[in-house]
Amino acid sequence: MTAANIPRLARGCRLSEDPAQGWVLLIPEGVLRLSGPGPRILQRCDGSRSLADIVRELGAEFAEPDAARVESETAAFLDRLVARRIVVVE
Amino acid sequence: MQPQALIAEITHRCPLHCVYCSNPLAMRPRGDEMPAEVWTRIFREAAALGVLHLHLTGGEPLLRPDLEELVRAGRAANLYINLITSGIGLSERKLDALIAAGLDHLQLSFQDADEAPADEFAGARVHARKLALAKIAGARQIGFTLNAVVHRQNLDRLDNIVAMAERLGVDRLEIANVQYYGWAIENREKLMPTRRQLDVSVAAVRAHQERLKGRMRIDFVPPDYYARYPKACMGGWGRSLMVVDPAGFVLPCHAAGVIPELTFDNAQSRPLRWIWEESAAFQRFRGEDWMPEPCRSCDRRQEDFGGCRCQALLLTGNAGATDPVCSLAPDRKLVDAVIERANAAGEAGGWVYRIDPA
Repeated sequence: MTAANIPRLARGCRLSEDPAQGWVLLIPEGVLRLSGPGPRILQRCDGSRSLADIVRELGAEFAEPDAARVESETAAFLDRLVARRIVVVE
Repeated sequence: MQPQALIAEITHRCPLHCVYCSNPLAMRPRGDEMPAEVWTRIFREAAALGVLHLHLTGGEPLLRPDLEELVRAGRAANLYINLITSGIGLSERKLDALIAAGLDHLQLSFQDADEAPADEFAGARVHARKLALAKIAGARQIGFTLNAVVHRQNLDRLDNIVAMAERLGVDRLEIANVQYYGWAIENREKLMPTRRQLDVSVAAVRAHQERLKGRMRIDFVPPDYYARYPKACMGGWGRSLMVVDPAGFVLPCHAAGVIPELTFDNAQSRPLRWIWEESAAFQRFRGEDWMPEPCRSCDRRQEDFGGCRCQALLLTGNAGATDPVCSLAPDRKLVDAVIERANAAGEAGGWVYRIDPA
């Protein structure tokens, strides 16, 4: 995934906050339990923000000065989901 | 231990009469079906227990005029809503109403890629209608799985089934070999594939998976009579799934009603949490205490949980036996005899079709 790519959740996949179980990603075959910045990244995968936009927003939210690190970690996280067709890229 | 998914059989009625229908032979009549407000309470109780997925199934769930209300109720309980359907009774308008109510995913069943045999297996003229619907569903923003049931009479057309799924633009194709419960046991002679069919289809599925990587996911459910080890039926008894039948009886598995020693509690008179945690039916085969040898000391007991209790009952008469599909089971010879018959030339007679409940 490159900075200009616009990721969004694939159809049939939905982010949900369960009162007891926290943030979960509901997919047709089951559930992925999310921790760390995962929910914050996926909330922004709405088909309107590019990876660069998401990285900029996350950097501000988490007050993380190392933008390159945020970008590489976010891209790696999303690439894993793209491989499973949970996230698609425009 | 908390359940992940609730399988809600909201009716046993169905316009199809599939020769391998997995509903129990004794089905609940329409008069026993629970109203939407009771289902709504059950969905809330399930969510409070930790359930995240709701599978609305039947019978044919579309026969319930209040299906939209049920979808809305499930979604209001914060559940992921999957509709498992033949598609019969679904129009474009109805589908859009269900999506507006919160439907996340549609699983549409197909009996074949070719119309004549598809309609023969379904016992109804439905294939052309399903094709039309699949095109509509494929253009919507919901998850879309095509489920094709395969067996001796259609495994040779597996490539056509994959091609059909590609044309229809589904996200996921589930190719499921018939499992021998319910009506499928009645038609087992005609449905059981040959060893050669199985080998050819396994190789073909692998090739299609490789070719379609990144475009369409293909899941394959093998015919377990040919397996060396049993399937982890329902992910283990009372470990992750619960089934509620149209009348509110709660089962660890949709076929569990065949086990005569079990009695099932009803969600209309007992809290779902009590049924899950305490009821005798859920406790009976949970964990390892019930296990006989060779399961009890087997390295795989945490993987397959001793296999399927219903299959053990159906084949050996004892629900507490090791699943006879297992190559280590003392009763494996029962399964071998069925396979041997299937691979001997003869072709069985006519189909036994499912009769709908009143």
